[in-house]
Amino acid sequence: MVTRGLVTRRRVMRLLDSVQVGLVVLVLIAPVAWMVASAFKPRTEVAAYPPRFLFTPVLDNFAELFRRTDFLDNTLNSLIVAGGSTLLGLALAFPAAFAMSWHRMSWPATATLFARMAPGTLFLLPWLMMFTALGLVGSLWALVLTHAVITLPVAIWVLLPYFDGMPRELVESAQIDGCRQHQTLLRVVLPIAMPGVVVAAILCFVFSWNYFLFALVLSGFDSKTAIVASFNFIGEGVTNWGALMAAATVIAIPPLVLTLLIQRRLVGGLAAGAVKG
Amino acid sequence: MRRGGATSFRWMVAPALVFAAAMIVLPFLYAGWLSLQETMIGMPSRFAGFGNYARLARDAEFWNGLRLTLLLYLLSLGLQLVAGTWLGLLLARADAARGLVRTVLVSPFMLPPVVVGMMAIVILDPGLGVANYLLGQIGVAPRLFLADPDTVILTVALVDTWQWTPFVALIVLGGYLSLPQELFEAAEIDGAGGWRRFWHVTLPLLAPTLVTAAVLRSVDLLRFFDVIYITTSGGPGNASTTLNILAYRRGFEFFEFGYAAAIMVTLSAMVFGTVLAFARLRRSVAW
Repeated sequence: MVTRGLVTRRRVMRLLDSVQVGLVVLVLIAPVAWMVASAFKPRTEVAAYPPRFLFTPVLDNFAELFRRTDFLDNTLNSLIVAGGSTLLGLALAFPAAFAMSWHRMSWPATATLFARMAPGTLFLLPWLMMFTALGLVGSLWALVLTHAVITLPVAIWVLLPYFDGMPRELVESAQIDGCRQHQTLLRVVLPIAMPGVVVAAILCFVFSWNYFLFALVLSGFDSKTAIVASFNFIGEGVTNWGALMAAATVIAIPPLVLTLLIQRRLVGGLAAGAVKG
Repeated sequence: MRRGGATSFRWMVAPALVFAAAMIVLPFLYAGWLSLQETMIGMPSRFAGFGNYARLARDAEFWNGLRLTLLLYLLSLGLQLVAGTWLGLLLARADAARGLVRTVLVSPFMLPPVVVGMMAIVILDPGLGVANYLLGQIGVAPRLFLADPDTVILTVALVDTWQWTPFVALIVLGGYLSLPQELFEAAEIDGAGGWRRFWHVTLPLLAPTLVTAAVLRSVDLLRFFDVIYITTSGGPGNASTTLNILAYRRGFEFFEFGYAAAIMVTLSAMVFGTVLAFARLRRSVAW
């Protein structure tokens, strides 16, 4: 009797756990689902009250978004900025993180944490003056350079553990075989660290794609990113929720798809630096 | 020829250091210097010593911003740590953080803040939003959410909690799974009940993990900007003008560079101070 009671109790507890997990999933998914649904609603039904839960999906909002605004150009700008700052960040971080790991230098890594902690507004004032003096305000260069300040620390912290776990003999024997240092890095180290480079690249791209503040101040009409453009839609008092939600859906796709690829490493990558720092 | 073991790769740090010096260190120093200047549009700036900081101490907007920053910070951090611990342990018990559930868990905190802000605007609209409709269905009076000075910070905190609790939960889950599971079994055999086991065994063991999560959230929450600026720009009135929003408006809307820099330096000091305090706390809860 006692054991049967215990078994039933366990079953009930397990059922309760599943119900709670289900509720959490519902709460997390509902707002995103509402956004996507609104993007596909016919214009007259997006802001209908009471809200419509059943409707025939149409592509009108997307058509309007891409036809009547520069959203396609804005999206291309976002791709260039995110791609460029990812490449720049990795190009700087890869050799740096390798050397830091090899020589057990810890201060540069700690120093980069500083960049991750300071509020972005702090850097923006000097940057604005700097880029104004250089005539770069409103250019994509300004955005690639400033977004690399975001990507560089991320790349360093994600790459470090991969280098730390690498057998030293591989590098040493390549050196003895007469490989030059940059060859060693590209031919020996890079292939081994490739999984880390992929995780770092994806995280850098997503961070840069999502970043709002720098482009808000430093972009011009021609270099506006999709993120800033959508913010301007709100500011224009556009009550066209359909187009707004279509824009939100388009911007949400790259980060969601890319992070699917590295789900297991995601949290470790985001938390990197906090554990030691 | 140099021997392999003696090879130095130190020079490979140089490009990153040059970049960091130009883009991070110099701007930071410049911002610090700027905070000691009195700047006005159309006038040459002049050295003001700590004049801007003295002005901060007298500025009601600054104290309002500080109060809102701390309120948002404590509210969000508290909610996320409690909910995150609950969810993390639930995920561990139900072994649920896999496949589709994991995808759902990571999605909110990977969304661009602009998207979260836009969702909040549409869903929480006082007149046409689906949130008030659903509340109405269960007999709750409609709310103004972001449009009410009394609830705007709470609403932002709840939005951020929606977005970041899964992140805290996954950190807690990782920390929990790395603990020696025999300890929990031993406590169960000793007859410690659910709550006692949680308070006396699980929570102390998870403390370092929770400090890590708290550090990560603190850095983001103290300098919170995106979702507030996108949804309310600091309003209604000044009801959500946190320090970072205030600094932005002073700097980029009113072009008071010196004064804005002083606010930004103060806020940075708050963030660094908090991180250092947590680093100390982590040493004291280590086991």
